[in-house]
Amino acid sequence: MEFLKKLFKKKTDDFYAPMAGKAVPITQVPDPTFAEGMLGNGIAIEPAEGKVYAPCDATVDMMFTTGHAVSLVADCGAEVLIHVGLETVSLEGKPFTVHVANGDKVKKGQLLLEADIEVIKAAGLPTITPMLICNTDDYPTFNTFVGKDVTNEDVVIALAK
Amino acid sequence: MKEIKYVITDPLGMHARPAGMLVKAVAPYASKITVTAPTGTADARRLMALMKLAAKQGMELTFTVEGDDEEKAATDLQAFLTANL
Repeated sequence: MEFLKKLFKKKTDDFYAPMAGKAVPITQVPDPTFAEGMLGNGIAIEPAEGKVYAPCDATVDMMFTTGHAVSLVADCGAEVLIHVGLETVSLEGKPFTVHVANGDKVKKGQLLLEADIEVIKAAGLPTITPMLICNTDDYPTFNTFVGKDVTNEDVVIALAK
Repeated sequence: MKEIKYVITDPLGMHARPAGMLVKAVAPYASKITVTAPTGTADARRLMALMKLAAKQGMELTFTVEGDDEEKAATDLQAFLTANL
């Protein structure tokens, strides 16, 4: 069966869930900047815990100094933005511990940063975490896998040119 | 070519939201629009490049607008910056 799967599977660039939690459509993010796709198409995670992992093999393009967001250039060329919670830029880094720096090569599953979800909640901010492909226009095939609980072992976005 | 200088007044600088809004604001124009900050230079249509500037409050940005619709693009860009950044 394995060879049949390979035979029929269109080659896609796969992105795994950056956090454990529930994967939901990007349109459910209560912030039009994300929900309307202004920053690119993607998915969002309602996180069960604060660890943020690399969704694919990539290079860290920019770890925001506040630690609330990180952008990656995937080895396949996709530009990925992970934004932990909403309006969390205003927390000035307090709930975030960063584990990688700009220019670092990372492997899928590598810990990028940790967020203290309770601190974000206590500040009254949503913890929902969008993961976007900033160069969405480069991918005519854009599949998302949402509506279920996921971990870093589950593909949530699959792209093809 | 038109040039606009703008000092960021937003206390949070050019984070994801204003960068996304800037990309959307310049999208309708054919002109090439480039942003130079003390931290580097970026194409105003490229979200990741804009965010990488990590432009903070008080930093001066220089926008260059070059193309057939540069007059209109520069006028609208100036209005966008004043309202949003």
